[in-house]
Amino acid sequence: MSSEAGETGKAGIIVASDDASPMEKLSHAILDDLLYNTLHDLLLKVHRDEKIARANTAAIKVEKLAMSTIEGATVDPKPDVEIETDAAIYKEGKVTLKGNPLKSTKEILCPRCHLPRLLHPTDGKGARKPDPGVIYCKRHPYIEKPGYDIYGQTWVAPGPGRGKKKKDQKLDPNDPSSPVPNIEGSAKDRPPNVLSFPSATCSKCKRCILVTRLNNHMGSCIGNSGRNASRAAAQKISNGSQAGSQNNDNTPPGSQKGTPLPGSRATSPRKRDVDELDEDAEESDATNPKKKKMRPNSLPKKVILKSKSPAAQANPKKEKAKASSNLYLEQRADDDVKDSTVQVAPKKQTPNPKGLSPTKKNKLGQSKPPLPLAAGKKAKRERDMESESSGTVSSPPH
Amino acid sequence: MAARPATPASPKTNYKVKAPQPGQPIYGCEHLQRLFNQDQATTNTSIQHYKAILRSIYDTTPLLSQTAKAIDGQIVTSLTPTYLCLQCPSTLTEDDRTKHGSKKSHRFYVDSRSGALYCQMCDDIVWDPTFEELRLKKVGTGTFTTRKRKHEELFEASDPVRDNPTYIPFNTTAASCKANGLRGIYNAGATCYQNVVLQSFLHNPILRNFYLSDGHSSSNCDTPHCLSCAMDDMFQDFYALENTNGYTAANILSGFWISEKKAFENLVTTKEQDAHEFFQFLAEELHERNGDGKKPETGSEHSCNCIIHQTFYGKLQSNTTCQSCGGVTDQVQSFLDLSLPLENLSHKKGRKGTARPGGSLTLQECLDEEYVKSDKCEYRCHSCGSMQQARRQTSIKRLPNVLSIQLKRFEYKQGRNERAAKIDTPVQFPLQLSMLPYTNRARGQDVRESYELARSCTYDLLSVVVHVGEIDTGHYVSYCRVGDQWFAFNDHKVELAQKSDVLNSRAYLLFYVVRSLS
Repeated sequence: MSSEAGETGKAGIIVASDDASPMEKLSHAILDDLLYNTLHDLLLKVHRDEKIARANTAAIKVEKLAMSTIEGATVDPKPDVEIETDAAIYKEGKVTLKGNPLKSTKEILCPRCHLPRLLHPTDGKGARKPDPGVIYCKRHPYIEKPGYDIYGQTWVAPGPGRGKKKKDQKLDPNDPSSPVPNIEGSAKDRPPNVLSFPSATCSKCKRCILVTRLNNHMGSCIGNSGRNASRAAAQKISNGSQAGSQNNDNTPPGSQKGTPLPGSRATSPRKRDVDELDEDAEESDATNPKKKKMRPNSLPKKVILKSKSPAAQANPKKEKAKASSNLYLEQRADDDVKDSTVQVAPKKQTPNPKGLSPTKKNKLGQSKPPLPLAAGKKAKRERDMESESSGTVSSPPH
Repeated sequence: MAARPATPASPKTNYKVKAPQPGQPIYGCEHLQRLFNQDQATTNTSIQHYKAILRSIYDTTPLLSQTAKAIDGQIVTSLTPTYLCLQCPSTLTEDDRTKHGSKKSHRFYVDSRSGALYCQMCDDIVWDPTFEELRLKKVGTGTFTTRKRKHEELFEASDPVRDNPTYIPFNTTAASCKANGLRGIYNAGATCYQNVVLQSFLHNPILRNFYLSDGHSSSNCDTPHCLSCAMDDMFQDFYALENTNGYTAANILSGFWISEKKAFENLVTTKEQDAHEFFQFLAEELHERNGDGKKPETGSEHSCNCIIHQTFYGKLQSNTTCQSCGGVTDQVQSFLDLSLPLENLSHKKGRKGTARPGGSLTLQECLDEEYVKSDKCEYRCHSCGSMQQARRQTSIKRLPNVLSIQLKRFEYKQGRNERAAKIDTPVQFPLQLSMLPYTNRARGQDVRESYELARSCTYDLLSVVVHVGEIDTGHYVSYCRVGDQWFAFNDHKVELAQKSDVLNSRAYLLFYVVRSLS
């Protein structure tokens, strides 16, 4: 701001050519002025924060110096001394500035704890190594790094619990969304910024419950009038808003309670379609524990489907019925997996669109139910339809 | 300068510079120090003049302060900032500022866009504590005096804090600099609809100040499983602890399960629920714990002094005009939030062919539809004594401190295949919202010139709740603003967010805070 004074200071970025019409010149000039104002306002805001912080730092420093000149433990807030630093003067308990604090003061002290502020994040975008010899104020700049939160923390994938087997936890090596593939193992092996989900105490039964299951637990533990209430409510809701959705909610609530899959309700994956899943796999964040839960599970199921498909090809009609009924059973047992079973497979095929026999076999096996539709059409057409048909694959059993 | 009838300061009062604060210089720069130390008269005129300049910047048309008179007498009105001399009534362009300075030895100028002070000798903007305090008051509340003053004077004599500056450090423990209220909340199993509402409460300045100043002290409350106590605990945990891990809202959850609110019976399940319904539930529950204990009746003009009413409740006024006899019926209702339907409007726009690419709407269009335009209805007219066609017009009578807006994205479609559906129409919403056109004060008078009224109706976006997914299953995330920085909250995870992320989101709930509060 200061160095530009004397010149016009205008941005002068948007300039009309000399032979432009007056209207054109005017609109260019207006746009240029607006751009200037935007920058001016932004700059003023940053300038204000920075200059006030530096001026206060200069004041804090000189006050500290004044305090330290006084011997003994007297806590006189206004010692009668005269101290001068490069940036400020302390006299009669008052602090006045010397020069421009933006030039005279280089660091920023926290106005509360009087410790220097860390000025760059320690990780992620714009990170710099902090000086290990300095004790900084605990308020650090926020970290901007994909897969991590503002404090540079990330979370372990929910560990093996009820309804999950250890082998299901194997992270998909092809899955780029696992930010920390080496987080297996106990809490001690983990780096300190990898957190696990905590447990909380139920206020009624005083049992310790993993946080992700707390709501379900309270539902059954406190739940206004016990199980039947939620059953009744589930019935009510499913009657109200069922029409277009798949029949997840028709699973009797009782059986859902019987096999408490973590987040069986919360993570019901109906909303997700192929596109979304692809996207999720690409963005490498651990934002949603639910997504992570689903993915490992889908691995073994996929294998089942694949192994089925060659057979399916051999005897299309019989296998079709069998395959879909198998699918059906799986859905019943674990409705989390339902969609991912169907969705992940096509996704895996797409990278190799020209692939010959193995992929094709898979594809054929997979798209069995809508096959009558696609019959006679070219294979290419079939492939194009895949993403759309994947939705229908899951529907026939219902 | 705009001559205002009630100038708060008579010329006789002696102005003082702001009392020195520890850890802060008294003056913005050495040159201002010299100005203030000249004599009392100079200090008086400087401060008076600064106030007058601020008034002309903020209370009159910008045309005045943006118009400068060049040295050669030419009048220039510019879009870019001009500089108003602090020591004489001239307004200068940036180019002429230096010439004016060397000619008249006037060294201080006020930037016409912000009211910031420029010192020519520093060749920099200077942030002087005395002037800056005046500027912030003007930007915020519009006046230089604070309403608190009377209260302060009353208690001045016996305030131990004032008498002994060490009182506070000796009797309290300061919260760590790390505790800033930015933490995620763990999802306890389909509770993201609760988390987003809790986050928006946590970053609501009024509720935060209420709970952090012991507005509802959980140690003095005997109600078992009180939700307000659970909120109190949560605020303490967020703003006093160094913990950066997610928060487990176990007490809120159990309070929610134990609550026996008939109206929200269907809400209390282990299923995914509507965040807006949870917001209403929480507001009513907290009102009952903190307020007059009366149940707020929908549709009535219920008012109480509880924190929830002070924060969220406003009043709507609807005038129904009978089409046959012209009789007018007024009705006033309290509201917790404004619900704006989207479907009709997006259809209407689609038919007219005026829809923007993507068929998006703006928040202002939705508000126009509800609170500016009138609609027809049937009602029983008192004077005619029969059912008549009537014209009904609704406007806002009293604006709340925190305005919550629900965009009705979940609608129950009538017709052959009856089902609830989600409307995904993008709605553009501003960071800064003027509610003046939707108040009943805007009716029939030209309010464009009333800058003070406009300022009291200006709102800043505070938080946004977004629903991703389908109607019957999905996920809630939210954005909240802390200072000027936006953060994205996704259950236990907090990330930095850009303004563009916020503005491009498909908002479901919007929370705006009135500007004059800060």
